[in-house]
Amino acid sequence: MDFYQAGLFCTLVCVAISFIALFRERDDIHKILVVDLVETTGLVLICLVATDLAEALILPGLVVGISELLMLAELYIRKEKLPLPSFKPIKIEVMRTAPPIISFVLVVYGIILSGFSGGAVAGIGMVFYFLCKGYEERFELLETVSGYAWALWIAAFFIFMILPQAWLIAVMLSGGAILVKVTTKMALIGAMREGHNV
Amino acid sequence: MFNLPIEGEELFALEFGDIVNYFSLYTTTLFLFAAAFIIIAIIARPERQTDIVFGTDAVYTKEINQDNLRFQRFMAIACGLATLGAVSSGDLFNFSLFTALIGITNIGIVAGVNNRYVLNAAYNYGIVAMVATTFLFGGASIALGTCGTLSIWELAGKGLVPLAAKMFLVLGVMGEGMAPFYIAKAEITRAPGAPYVLMIHVSSLLIFLRVIEIILTV
Repeated sequence: MDFYQAGLFCTLVCVAISFIALFRERDDIHKILVVDLVETTGLVLICLVATDLAEALILPGLVVGISELLMLAELYIRKEKLPLPSFKPIKIEVMRTAPPIISFVLVVYGIILSGFSGGAVAGIGMVFYFLCKGYEERFELLETVSGYAWALWIAAFFIFMILPQAWLIAVMLSGGAILVKVTTKMALIGAMREGHNV
Repeated sequence: MFNLPIEGEELFALEFGDIVNYFSLYTTTLFLFAAAFIIIAIIARPERQTDIVFGTDAVYTKEINQDNLRFQRFMAIACGLATLGAVSSGDLFNFSLFTALIGITNIGIVAGVNNRYVLNAAYNYGIVAMVATTFLFGGASIALGTCGTLSIWELAGKGLVPLAAKMFLVLGVMGEGMAPFYIAKAEITRAPGAPYVLMIHVSSLLIFLRVIEIILTV
């Protein structure tokens, strides 16, 4: 028995255990959590293959899983008619004075890095800014920017496939687009502090 | 791959490396069917249900909220596009991703209706759909682990994909395509959210037909 088969056997045992848990669970909100557990075992099944292709498949699998989880949570809120909680903004002096300079430095450094890691750095800067300074319903703007960045990324992929000799512009395009995309995605976290447009 | 009995003749094939997106007579039929229902979802007017006041002759027509209508129509069109992707993809993993997307959009269509029982049904269906993605991804990844490729074009007719992977794929599609059972069958065109509810039935029918083609081919 090789490693793959042994791992597959263990994972299927995990799947069975999580299914038993789901079967025994009666509370609706706990069901969401157990269902997330079941999904994670699905990702483990992909991880077991352990090739570059499998690594590339993890991300879409994870995204689909998270979007289904979000959808289920939204449905639960709507079903139970739960009210939106309201928070008072935190009053700390550093949070009023520091954000512009720190966010600026992080965003500029992120743009220099470019690509996925640059997007993460610039995104942290924007998360910090939004968390401290607040925002006014910028979700639609961020979503629009993120959508255009995604379209650019796909266009870069098509350049790779159809015009391989123009690889430099495709690299630049995809690097810039992934920077913008990761940045906007992370900035959404900072904008989640308040508001009704979530 | 087109000498297999289920496919019919080849109409079109687009190569992206080893992944080949192909249209056979079978998948083209499914594709056109889904496309027709997208057009129906775009041009259809929403069903306005009537309530009869008990004990009198009065009849009220329900007003459809404009926001709900736009949301449901968008979700129905998105569901149709996901169905188009699922019936035309030549990759097992893309097929499972599109199928999962169909599950999400199906719940979106149902969740537009602001009725406690409908939302309850949608919630229960959502749990089934989420659990089913495990089987979908599991089936695709077991096929990848044993055969080394996900391309239906390359796997066609060789019978390399193990039975377990095929069973997982079918189980996954059963979970994702289960939506119609959460809606009363007799109320396809009169239910809350009609006629966009129609798209749920169409998409689940088409992914069932497509997964049958896949497991008979690979």
